[in-house]
Amino acid sequence: MTVATMDSNAPAEEQGILLEAKAVTKQFEGLVANREIDFNIPRNSIVSIIGPNGAGKTTFFNQLSGIYHPTSGQIILDGIDISNVAPHQVAQLGVARTYQNIRLFQNMTVLGNVMVGRHVRSSGAWFSAIFRLPRIRREEEAVEQRSFELLELVGLRRRVAHELAKNLPYGDQRRLEVARALASDPVLLLLDEPTAGMNPRETRRMTEFIGRLRNDLQLTILLIEHDMKVVMGVSERITVLDYGEKIAEGTPEEIRANPRVIEAYLGKQATA
Amino acid sequence: MALLQRALFAGLVVAIIMWYLAGVGLVGAFADREVVTGYLSLGRLMLLTPLVIGGYAVARQAGSVGRRLTIGAAAGGMGGTFFAVGILVVLALSPGIREVFIRINDTLIEFLLFGLDPVPGALLNVALGIGLGLLGASLPVVPPIVRRGLLAGVGGMVLASMLEPFVRPRLTEFDLHDVVLFLYQDQGLLPLAAVIVFAVSALLAIAWRPARAEVQRRYAAADPGAQRVGRWVALLLLISFIVTLPQFTGVFITQVLVLVGLYILLGLGLNIVVGYAGLLDLGYVAFYAVGAYFTALLTSPTSSLGIGLSFWAALPLVVIGSALIGLFIGAPVLRLRGDYLAIVTLGFGEIARVLFLSDALAPWFGGVQGILSIPDIIGEGSYTLPLLGEIKGPAATYYPLVGFCAVAAFIAWRLKYSRTGRAWNAMREDEDVAQATGVNIVNYKLLAFAMGAAIGCLGGAIFATHLESVFPGTFNVLVSITVLAVVILGGMGSIPGVVFGALALIGLPELLREFAEFKLLVYGAVLMLMMILRPEGFVPDVTRRRELHEAEGEEGEDGEDENLENPEAERTAAPSQA
Repeated sequence: MTVATMDSNAPAEEQGILLEAKAVTKQFEGLVANREIDFNIPRNSIVSIIGPNGAGKTTFFNQLSGIYHPTSGQIILDGIDISNVAPHQVAQLGVARTYQNIRLFQNMTVLGNVMVGRHVRSSGAWFSAIFRLPRIRREEEAVEQRSFELLELVGLRRRVAHELAKNLPYGDQRRLEVARALASDPVLLLLDEPTAGMNPRETRRMTEFIGRLRNDLQLTILLIEHDMKVVMGVSERITVLDYGEKIAEGTPEEIRANPRVIEAYLGKQATA
Repeated sequence: MALLQRALFAGLVVAIIMWYLAGVGLVGAFADREVVTGYLSLGRLMLLTPLVIGGYAVARQAGSVGRRLTIGAAAGGMGGTFFAVGILVVLALSPGIREVFIRINDTLIEFLLFGLDPVPGALLNVALGIGLGLLGASLPVVPPIVRRGLLAGVGGMVLASMLEPFVRPRLTEFDLHDVVLFLYQDQGLLPLAAVIVFAVSALLAIAWRPARAEVQRRYAAADPGAQRVGRWVALLLLISFIVTLPQFTGVFITQVLVLVGLYILLGLGLNIVVGYAGLLDLGYVAFYAVGAYFTALLTSPTSSLGIGLSFWAALPLVVIGSALIGLFIGAPVLRLRGDYLAIVTLGFGEIARVLFLSDALAPWFGGVQGILSIPDIIGEGSYTLPLLGEIKGPAATYYPLVGFCAVAAFIAWRLKYSRTGRAWNAMREDEDVAQATGVNIVNYKLLAFAMGAAIGCLGGAIFATHLESVFPGTFNVLVSITVLAVVILGGMGSIPGVVFGALALIGLPELLREFAEFKLLVYGAVLMLMMILRPEGFVPDVTRRRELHEAEGEEGEDGEDENLENPEAERTAAPSQA
C-alpha cells in the first residue's frame, strides 16, 4: 500500500508516516464520539492529543489499539489496515499502550506483569511448557532477563520484582505499566495520561523519561495528556479534539496561539 | 461503657451461635464422640469454642491487658449467661418448644446442664463462660509461641481421638496392647494420655518454626549441588510416604484416600479453569460425568458399544473425547463473564446429568440403570508391585490414582510457571488489558476449558472403574460445588491448596461420620468464613510467599500475628466502629 506517502498533510520527514487515520468516525448508538478524524503520526516522533474532557480522546486511542473498531474510516499502521483487527493482533503488530486509570494485573507479581507484556514476542505453547523443552527453557530465561532489564529501565528496583503489582505505590504502578507496554517491543507506544495523579517532580521525571524512550528505543509515541506543561515540553506535534472533532493540529507554538483551541479550553468569553 | 456494650453484644452473638450449634443437632451428634473419655467430648468442645473465640474477638481491640482480660471475661460470662438462660427457658416452655426444635431432647438438655440440676447446671455454664472468655482474652496477650502451642495441643488431642478407629487395630496388629490400653478408653483418650498428647503436640508446634527456619537457613547456605540432593531426598521421602500409606492404614482409610484423591484430581482440573484462568465454572461435574461414562462405554462389555476395551486402552480416547467436550462447552460461553458464566456453566452441568439420565438416550447410557460391569483398573482385581507385594481392594485403585494426581499436579505446576499460565493469569485479572497486551483470549479460554476437562475426566474414569458401575445420580450439582469449595478452601491457583482442601473437606468428614448429615451446613459456614477472614485460602500461592520470604524473612506469613500484636493500629484503622 502506498497510502502513507500520499497524504498531503504529512511533514516531509524522511522516515515517513508510521500511523495514519483516515476519516475515522466512531459512533455509539446516537452519540458520535469521533467524527471524520484525519490524523497521522510521523515515525520516531512524539505526538500528543489534547482536548477537554469528553472530547473523544480515549475513544480514539481505543480504536488505535483495536479495542474499538471505527464505524467508518481507516487506520493504517505501517501500510497495514488495522481498522478491524482484534486487539491481540494489533499488539502483535507493535502497538502497546498504557491506561488512564492504571490497569495492571493486580494479583500478579511485578515481574509477571512485564513477562505477560512479552507474550507477543515469545511463542511457547502449552504442550512444550509441560515438557519444558530446551527451547522453552531458553525462551523463558530470555523473557525473564528482558523483563528485569525493562524494570530497571523504567526505574523499578529489582527487589520489588516479586511483589504483587497492587502493592506498589502509585508512581511505581505507572512505571510498571510502561514497562509492561515496552516488553512487547512496540513500534508505537500509546500513553494515556501518563502523568495523571503525579506530583510536579514525578511529572518532570516522567516527561524526561518519555523523551529518552523515544531516543533510546527508536520509538514513536502518542500521548493523551492534560498537563499542558508536559504536552508543550515533550511533543513535536499536537492534535486538538473537541466534541469528537479535530479542531486544530500543529506544533506546540501554533497550538498555543490557536484561537479555536483557547476557546475550546476556556470557553467563548475568553477569546472575545 | 462502650466496652461493656461490646461485651454484651459479643456475649449475645456467642450465645446465639451456641444455641444454633445445639439446636441443629451438631452438638448432640458429637456428644458421644469422646476426646478425653469422661471429661471432654467433641460436642462439648464444639459448644464451648465460641466462648473462647468471643473472648478473643472482643479482647484483641481493647487496649491494656487488664481491660482486655476484663472485657473477655465479661463477654464470656454474658455468653454463658445468655446460653444458660436459654436452657432454663426451654425447660420452662417444654414440651411445647420441643415440637418445633426436634433436636432439643432430654439427652441434649442433660448434656448442656452437665447432668446437674437446672440451677447448678446453669451456674456452671456461666462460670465456664467467664473462664473460657478469660482464656480467649488472654490469647492475644500471651506470646505467640504459647498461643500456637495451645492450639496445637487441643488439635493434637482431637486428632488422636478421631484416629482411634484406625490406630487401635494397627497397634493391636503389632501386639502393642499395652499402648492401646494406655491411650484409649472407648473412643476417647485417657486423661493421662490426653495430657501427654497435648504436651507432645504443643512442643512439636513450638519447635516447628525454629526447626523449619534452621532447615531453610542451612538449605540457603548449602551449595547448589547439595541443595539439589536435599530436594531429591525430600521428594523421595514424600513419595515413599505416599506409596506406603495404604500398607499401614488399612482398608477403610485407603478407601477414604481414594475419595480424597478423586477430589484432588478434580480440584487440580478446576483449579486451572477457576484459579488460573478465572473462569467461574459451576458445571465442572459435567467433565467428571463425561469421563466416567466414556470409560464405561468403552470398557464395559455390557454397554451399548460393547467393545470392552481395557482401562488403559480406553484412557487416551476418554481424555481426547472429554477435551473436545470441554471445547464444545467452552465455545458458547466465550463472551460471558463472571456471574453470567457461572450461571450458564451451572446449566451445562445439569444438562449433562439430565442427558445421561434421559430415557431418550437410555439405549446408549442406560438411563437410570446406568452402566454396569465395568472392569477394574487392572482387569484382574489385584496385582503385584515390587517391594509392596500383592495389591488388592481399594489400594488397587489408590496407586494408579496417585499416579494420575502426580501427573495432573505436574502439568498444573509446569503450566503455572509458563507463558500459558501467565496469559491465563492476565486474563483472570483483566480480560481487556490481557487482550490488548497480545493474549488471544478466545484460544486461552478454550484451552483452559479443554485442559480442565481433560484432567476432570481422569477423575471420572477412575471413579467408574473403582465402583465398576456408573449411575447418573452421582453426577449432581453438589459435586461441582464441593470441588469448587476444595479449590477455594486451599486457595485459588494453589496446587498444595487443592490437596489441603480435599483432605479437609473430603477426608475429615469421612473420619467423622457424624458429620454426614451436617456436611453442607458446615461447608456453607466454612466458605462464608473463608471469604470474610481469609479469601486467599489456607495454602495460598507458594511462590509468592517464598519470594516474599527471600526478601523479608518471616514477615509474609505472620500476617495474623502482626495484627494481634498491634491492636492499636487496628483500632485507628477502623474508627467508625467505636
